[in-house]
Order: sequence, then structure tokens, then C-alpha cells
Amino acid sequence: RMEASCLELALEGERLCKAGDCRAGVSFFEAAVQVGTEDLKTLSAIYSQLGNAYFYLHEYAKALEYHHHDLTLARTIGDLLGEAKASGNLGNTLKVLGNFEEAIVCCQRHLDISRELNDKVGEARALYNLGNVYHSKGKNVASAGTHDPGELPDDVKNALQKAANYYEENLTIVTELGDRAAQGRAFGNLGNTHYLLGNFRSAVLAHEQRLLIAKEFGDRSAERRAYSNLGNAYIFLGEFETASEYYKRTLQLARQLKDRAVEAQACYSLGNTYTLLQDYEKAIDYHLKHLVIAQELNDKIGEGRACWSLGNAYTALGNHDQAMHFAERHLEISREVGDRSGELTARLNLSDLQMVLGLSYSTNNSMMSESHVADNSLHGTRPRAGRRHSMENMELMKLTPEKVQNWN
Amino acid sequence: SQPLAGRQAAELQPKVVPSKQILHSDNMEMEPETMETKSVTDYFSKLHMGSLVYSCTSKRKNK
Repeated sequence: RMEASCLELALEGERLCKAGDCRAGVSFFEAAVQVGTEDLKTLSAIYSQLGNAYFYLHEYAKALEYHHHDLTLARTIGDLLGEAKASGNLGNTLKVLGNFEEAIVCCQRHLDISRELNDKVGEARALYNLGNVYHSKGKNVASAGTHDPGELPDDVKNALQKAANYYEENLTIVTELGDRAAQGRAFGNLGNTHYLLGNFRSAVLAHEQRLLIAKEFGDRSAERRAYSNLGNAYIFLGEFETASEYYKRTLQLARQLKDRAVEAQACYSLGNTYTLLQDYEKAIDYHLKHLVIAQELNDKIGEGRACWSLGNAYTALGNHDQAMHFAERHLEISREVGDRSGELTARLNLSDLQMVLGLSYSTNNSMMSESHVADNSLHGTRPRAGRRHSMENMELMKLTPEKVQNWN
Repeated sequence: SQPLAGRQAAELQPKVVPSKQILHSDNMEMEPETMETKSVTDYFSKLHMGSLVYSCTSKRKNK
């Protein structure tokens, strides 16, 4: 009677998770664990599903705990396929938690067992997971510094190159298996890896494949992702018109899918693209749209970015009053969110704007006199010297000679 | 001659040069993870609990 009860609870948990209600599914699985069962394979399946449910709920510590239980159990009962699956899930969870070295060990175990069992599907999935771990590892180290795609330290480059190799290996197998959905995923992440490596042409080729497959499946989220990634790659190829076309499609789909955050991102990307095209009216139009959504979503960082971008665009148009307004707002928000570099940038923009407007530094505008003092304390020198210093810190994008003509 | 506003804009032009701070490259859109799945029903046949499976699933279908 107790056995049946555990099974019934677990079945209800499975049904709820499949229906997309992981939170309710978790309660049933936990109830099933409470009741308990002597059948260890059933228990292993419950642990595994609990781990996945917590993973989808972004509760990674819990996911780790249950996938670990599942792995221990699978080993205890000598279930090799079960061990492979548990290792893969544990690997994915460790990756999200930033523990890349252990994640690699687990995903490698998934791969080794799959090969031992001659399980091609499992092998392909393990290769994809390994690619993801190396991609995250590379991106994580890269984002610790301030690098543009393509300008990377050796360890980052090595990790990303490994990721690309694993995605390629995965693609060979899933192409043999005729698994189009898996091909789509691999192309998408391969494209992003090439992008980080600075291979923008290869990135475009991969994302074009991703787009094709997304359309085949009528998967509009994947289609939107592909447009956005294509836009990013074309920016770095200096082909801003093409980038703007892809970002517009991203925006269109974001609106259809009613995803406000993605809509905001698309507007921001379009604002930046029109800035690069020196069409500042359109840039302002999109940055204002981004600003409205950022405020609506209470995204302070996004709001700060919008104000900075708007300040720059209005400055370029010679509308210094509006530029001043947004530079001040950028300063306020940078302070609020504790963004030191944003704060410094805003102060420099303000001081430049004040110079243009012919105001002296000794103005009684409290914000400006404060910023003057802070600039001195930061650099122990006059503001102009501080300005040059900070411009260096901003590390303006290094342009290759053939790109420069597009940017000027 | 160039209007004043235009000249001022030209003086401020360097700030409009795209920097990596403006051109955020971290908004890459990744594909979803794939998790391995297990199901309690995978093991029913081995447990000789076919009748139970039937009763559970048919009960659910009737709901």
C-alpha cells in the first residue's frame, strides 16, 4: 500500500512537471520521498526529476543536492545509464553554479559512459553539455576583464576553442541521427562561441543555420534569438544597416511574444546601431523606447544606460539642454546603483556640456560642484587631466583599419 | 560659416565614438540546456506492476 502511494505521488509530480507546473510537481515528489520506497530505481527517478524541477525553478543548490543523491544511488545499484544521466545533470548544475572544473569531470563521465554503452544520443548530448561548460568557463573569465569579442587572453581563447570543438563533434553526430532540434541548439551556441572568439563570419554562418531550423519548427523564440545574435555579429563586421534589419526583426518578434525585457534590449541595440549609422534622431527614438520599458520594469541599470546613450545622441545633435538633462539623470542613477565608472563618465559628460554651454566650474549647481571635488580627490589633479585618464579607462573600442571608415 | 551648435557638436564628437560600454556584447542569446530525464514509469515493467500503471494512468485520463 505504501509502495503504491509513493508511486502515485511521483506520477502526479511527473504529470505536473510535464504540464509546466514545476512548483506543484516538487511538492508531490517531496511527498513521495517522504513516503519512501524500497525500489531504488524508482527513488533514483524521483531524485532526478526533483533535481530537474529545481533546476528549472533556478534553485540550483537544491538541484545539486538531488542530482547528487541520484548519482550516488545509480552507482550503488550499478545502473550505468542512470549514472550517466545523473552525471550529465550534475554537470549542468555545477556549470550554472560556476564550478566549471567539477562540471567538466561530470560531463566527461556522461560522455565516457555513453560511449561505453554505444549510446549515440547520450554521447551527442554529453558533447553539447561539455561545449556549454567550456563556453561558460570562457565567457566567465572573459567578463572578469573588459574585452571586446576577439580580444581575449589565452586561457579564455582555449576554453572557447574547446567549446567550439565539442559543438562541432555534437553536430556531426546529431546530423547523422537527423535530429534537427539538436542541430539548431548546437548551431546557436557554436555561433555565439565564434562571436566571442571574434570569428564573426563563422558566427553569421552558424546563426543563419540556427535561423533556418527555427523556422522549420515554427519556434519563434529561437527565431528571435537568431535574429538578435545575427545583429550582434553584423555590428562587429561593421555592417550596421544589416544589423539594424536583424534587430528590427528581433523587436517585431519580441512584441509578438510579449516579452518586454527582450523588447527593451532590441530597442537599445537599435539605438546603438543608429548611433553608429549617425542617424541620431532614430537613435533617440529607440533609446527613448528602451528608457520607457526600463522604467516600467524597474531596471535601474538599463535606465542609466538609456540616459547615457540619450545624452550622447542629444550631444551629437547639438541639443545640449536635453543632453544635460540625461547626463544629470545618468549621474543620479549611477550613484543610486553604485556604478563608479558610470558616475565618472556622467560627471565628465556634464563638465564637457557645461563648458560648451559656457558655464564656469564655480557654478552653484550643487551636483557639479560636488563632482568637481570628487574628480580632484580621485585623480589629485585638474579635471581635464582626470578626463583623459578616464577616457583611457573606458578603453574605447579598438578599430581595425578597414572598420574605421564605417565608424567615422 | 558653421552654426555654433554644429561646431559644439563636432567638439564633443569623441564621446560618440562607440565604446564597449555602449556596445554591450554581453547580450548574447544562448540556447537552452538539455537535462537528462528519468521517469518512474520506466521501471514499472521490471517491477511487474503493469496493472498499477494501468490503474494510475487511466484514473488520470478520466480526470
